[in-house]
Amino acid sequence: MISIATKQTNPFGVIVSKEISDTVKSWKFIIMVALVLLTCMGSLYAALDDFSAAIKGGSADDDFFFLKLYTHSNGTLPSFLVFISFLGPLLGISMGFDSINTEQNKGTLSRLLAQPIYRDYILNAKFLAALTILSYLFIGLSLLVLGFGLIFIGIPPTTDELMRIIIFSIVNIIYVGFWLNLSILFSVKFRQAATSALAGISVWLFFTIFYSMIVNLIAKGLAPVRFISENQMVSFQRFVQNLMRFNPGQLFNDVTTTLLRPSVRSLGPLTTEQTIGAIPNPLPLGQSLMLVWPQVVALIGGTLLFFAIAYTMFMRREIRSR
Amino acid sequence: MKSLHSYCKILIVSILFFNVQQNIFANDGKTEIFTPYTKVSVSPGSTVNYSLDIINNNEQTINENINISNIPRSWNYTLTASGMNINKVAVLGSKKQTLKLKIDVPYRVKKGSYTFYAKLGSIASLPLTINVTTAGSNESELTCDQKNMEGTSKSNFSFNAVLKNKTATKQQYALMASPPRGWSVTIKPNHKQATSTEVDANGTKNINYTIKAPSNVKAGTYKIPVKAVSGSTSAEMELEVVITGTYEMSFSTPTGLLSAKITAGDDKKVELVVKNTGSTKLENIELSASKPKNWEVSFDNKKIESLEPGKTSTVYATIKADKKAIPGDYVTKITAKTSEANQNLSFRIMVKTPMLMGWLGILIILASIGGIAFLIKKFGRR
Repeated sequence: MISIATKQTNPFGVIVSKEISDTVKSWKFIIMVALVLLTCMGSLYAALDDFSAAIKGGSADDDFFFLKLYTHSNGTLPSFLVFISFLGPLLGISMGFDSINTEQNKGTLSRLLAQPIYRDYILNAKFLAALTILSYLFIGLSLLVLGFGLIFIGIPPTTDELMRIIIFSIVNIIYVGFWLNLSILFSVKFRQAATSALAGISVWLFFTIFYSMIVNLIAKGLAPVRFISENQMVSFQRFVQNLMRFNPGQLFNDVTTTLLRPSVRSLGPLTTEQTIGAIPNPLPLGQSLMLVWPQVVALIGGTLLFFAIAYTMFMRREIRSR
Repeated sequence: MKSLHSYCKILIVSILFFNVQQNIFANDGKTEIFTPYTKVSVSPGSTVNYSLDIINNNEQTINENINISNIPRSWNYTLTASGMNINKVAVLGSKKQTLKLKIDVPYRVKKGSYTFYAKLGSIASLPLTINVTTAGSNESELTCDQKNMEGTSKSNFSFNAVLKNKTATKQQYALMASPPRGWSVTIKPNHKQATSTEVDANGTKNINYTIKAPSNVKAGTYKIPVKAVSGSTSAEMELEVVITGTYEMSFSTPTGLLSAKITAGDDKKVELVVKNTGSTKLENIELSASKPKNWEVSFDNKKIESLEPGKTSTVYATIKADKKAIPGDYVTKITAKTSEANQNLSFRIMVKTPMLMGWLGILIILASIGGIAFLIKKFGRR
């Protein structure tokens, strides 16, 4: 009774649960679940096919062989990590591209706004509902891999590994949230759902394919002469890398690689003098997290920024019925 | 020729005359028992072998009982000839017969003179005296052709000695050594460690003494008396070991912990302990460090003037990590060095990144959340 009463008194919750139930019943959701299952199977196949070879190693990551389930690939299929970096933006865009403009085109938005609710409830609820569903999907995906991995390997992950997997899932959600917000922004901006979808996918394609090409072009143009000191080379490489980091995908890769490969100690290029006396040893979780903390902050910041822009746009928009 | 004949005659006559003379003076009964050593000194447990000659100076054959009288009851004796025990002996006229008398002197016997008689019926009697002395050292012998050895405190000194049993019986020797405190002596007769050994009568045995000095022994000459003692005899000798001085030290932390955590740019004080484990004084121990680039290692006392054997000295080292050190583990090697010995210490240091950046990131996130909250307040609630 109480729960119903609170639901009735909280219109925001009502909108969120309605959004979730609408999505879950839709074809879109079924396609997404199918994608997730395929990803799970594909990455498990890629990882477990020659897992014994992967853990033979002799590298500093040997203590963390459960994490190899997420990063290792036999070469025929991409690893889980690569799958996620493709799947994340795609699912994020697909959940958000039609959130506002479809409502508006169908004329349901003005009807909804006729209810005694704050206007921003609609946008917030759309975002929250989509993020909830995506969170379930991605946490589920991570757990599926974890569970199947347990069955096939038979050795449970250590606490440190488990913490890394959990934080990895949270970073996944943040990354997906970034693309979700971007596509919500487009759905506010563009009246046509198709335009909005195309805009989202274009941005994604630009960053995954063209951005690195452009950066490489710039780097080639600016490349110093061949005979330069080590320090100059390192600073040039840092510059190129910083350019690459305008790409959210690059930020995400930095974070996930560091989290799932504890032996990664530095993301930038290193001079040899920096490595003198260093032991190739895995970092503790806290230090791995500290290493990629700027990237995490940038992803969260970007997510919040796009949300803020979408929010302002939506709130200033004049909404009329058709 | 004539003269030769006359010489021969004189010789024969004189021999005959001499014989008659001796018979007259030696024994009234014309029969005697003879042995050359009638009084001997032996130690308890020994066996005395006599050879008794029974000489018949009569023309007729004699046939008499022979026995040993007045011998203490616990003593054993055997009287043999040609491997048989003899009770009665017959000797042709003008001939002699040899018997062997063997007397076992028991171990438990009082010191003193014991006289007993070898009697041939009532015709002849020979008093024999055995003087039992205390355990004589000349009955066993322990020798080593190289009694002196030189080495460091870590060396094993192996002496090959020979134990000789000069007594007439098999002897069971207890093997003993009395080394100085802390030393160890391993005694190996027949290549096996043992505390006692058996040596046959008149036999020898090789005995190996392996001597090990305590690790903290001071340089010098040490004497280790070793002994082989049996019930009746004993032998001893002194082995000499010369220890030359060693230069050694150990270098560690008081707890043995060789790792530390350090935030990039910060410093850490580490307590180090230098110990002289050698046997001579160490002088001018210098401390140095090989470290990653841009790190600093300083010591509160860069040079220890002198350190007596067994003594320790504490030094504090301050390790400062590079401000830009990437996180993870590093090795810093600290070396303690004199001209004679050196020892190094690999110190594992885990570098952590400073938390400042973390807080800055959290601040940025909080600011952007605050911005959205402001937006919601401004636009959403009117």
